[in-house]
Amino acid sequence: MPDEATSSLNIRELKVTFDTPLGTVKAVDDVSFELNAGETLALVGETGCGKSVVAHSILKLLPANAKIKGQILFRNQNLLKLGEKDLAQIRGKEISLIMQNPALALNPVYSIGHQMTEPLMVHEGMRKAKAILKAKDLLKRLRFIGPDVATRAYPFEMSGGMKQRILIGISVILNPKIIIADEPTTGLDSRLRDMVLEELRLVKEMDRSSMIFISHDLKAAREISDRIAIMYAGEILEIGSTAEFFKEPFHPYSKKLLDSLPERGFNPIPGTSPSVIHPPEGCKFHPRCTSRKEICSKESPDFVRIKDRDIKCVLYS
Amino acid sequence: MCAVQLEVRNISKTYETGLFSRKARFVLENISFDVQEGRTFGIVGESGTGKTTLGKIIAAIEKPTAGEILFRGNTLAVMKRKEFPTFRRNVQMMFQDPEGSLNPKKTIRKSLDEVLRLIKMPKGTREYAIRDSLLTVGLSREILVRYPNQLSGGQNQRVALARILLLEPEVIILDEPTSALDISVQAQILNLLKDLQLKKALTYIFISHDMDVIRFMCHDIGIIKNSKLLATC
Repeated sequence: MPDEATSSLNIRELKVTFDTPLGTVKAVDDVSFELNAGETLALVGETGCGKSVVAHSILKLLPANAKIKGQILFRNQNLLKLGEKDLAQIRGKEISLIMQNPALALNPVYSIGHQMTEPLMVHEGMRKAKAILKAKDLLKRLRFIGPDVATRAYPFEMSGGMKQRILIGISVILNPKIIIADEPTTGLDSRLRDMVLEELRLVKEMDRSSMIFISHDLKAAREISDRIAIMYAGEILEIGSTAEFFKEPFHPYSKKLLDSLPERGFNPIPGTSPSVIHPPEGCKFHPRCTSRKEICSKESPDFVRIKDRDIKCVLYS
Repeated sequence: MCAVQLEVRNISKTYETGLFSRKARFVLENISFDVQEGRTFGIVGESGTGKTTLGKIIAAIEKPTAGEILFRGNTLAVMKRKEFPTFRRNVQMMFQDPEGSLNPKKTIRKSLDEVLRLIKMPKGTREYAIRDSLLTVGLSREILVRYPNQLSGGQNQRVALARILLLEPEVIILDEPTSALDISVQAQILNLLKDLQLKKALTYIFISHDMDVIRFMCHDIGIIKNSKLLATC
């Protein structure tokens, strides 16, 4: 594990629950990981496994019915203990979030220029004319064709891919230390997907930022990340180097997940994701696991370290 | 050689744009291809190339500006009013957004039952047909009392497929049916579609921008670029 000096964000024993009329949803269950300075960590898993909840917990952007426990340490302070005023200084400026749905994340009644300059005017007190110049300069550096036209345009005049790239621009205009990209390539075709990934690489290098890349797209995670964490039903099951993970996944879920990739013949994982209100006892993956043992249905395993990788499975204990 | 089930002949579609001086913009330009019975024809292209519009024209949801669609040799445009419901039943379309395909205010049972009431199936046999259809797509009866927002994306997409199968269609137009789904759920749905094609001798028109999915699913493909069909093979 990296030491405190190289760690840019440290999440310890994070638990997030939501009270709903149907019961308590255990969205994130005891998640711990560190984000090293300058690295890209991919959080990968199926829909509903808690990836986005982790992202929103970091900036305390969860709905009112959420209950959060644990610690999120950034520059020796626990973000979960900070008030709204202090958090406002961190959101966007120190840690920025690229939202999942560009069509909803952009305000339809304001021009792109207005939305790109707003963080500069609010956080840095910059004047409008100077902020516009900075926004155009950023778009130029992001290899946007026609930054002048783009800043005058409205979201409805742009394609899904362009809107996603604008969102990336807005998120990095204050040169944040940590970028959280929440499913930035979902729904894009391969050309736009490559373009967005390239843009993320570029902004990360420009600002020497760290990045948490959240996705269910294993291919994108492979291309962009240094380390990868595999999430299932609110837990991390395996975390380690991306290159090593794709060479040899250890956890049975990770193996099955890679088997469902096109190059491995689209072999599906039998069964469906478990209920997050009444999750199975023991290892949450055991009802779908073909390597399960008797103990798997009784006890939740601890992490075991093998070759710089942490795995949560009794097969390795 | 399989029989030709659907013929797409010189289809063009234009939309008029501009507030004061109206200009026609081609979304599709002179598209022609044949779809053979029991096979999967893939339509590939980048976002915004008109793939979905073409799918909607084939399913008679939208009208073309020029050209014609022939189903089993009969031209759609001259089809009699009485024949049209049979065409609609035979050529179904499955959309990209699984949750958006279903009415959020209706339980899954109501959404499925509605289709059977439209084709005037007797009440006694409707419940059996619904259960059989759910079984085919690998869903349990428990979900019948739930609403679309209480199901996962993969489950909703299976419900959408179950609803289509209730009509026993011959052709299904699949518009990016797995692009909003996780890789593992995508694999489940694609394998399910392949199994169903074999069991029920279905013809698919598969629209996608994902070449891996197209390679896995399709027997024949057509590539669309800049509103034109570049090649078929």
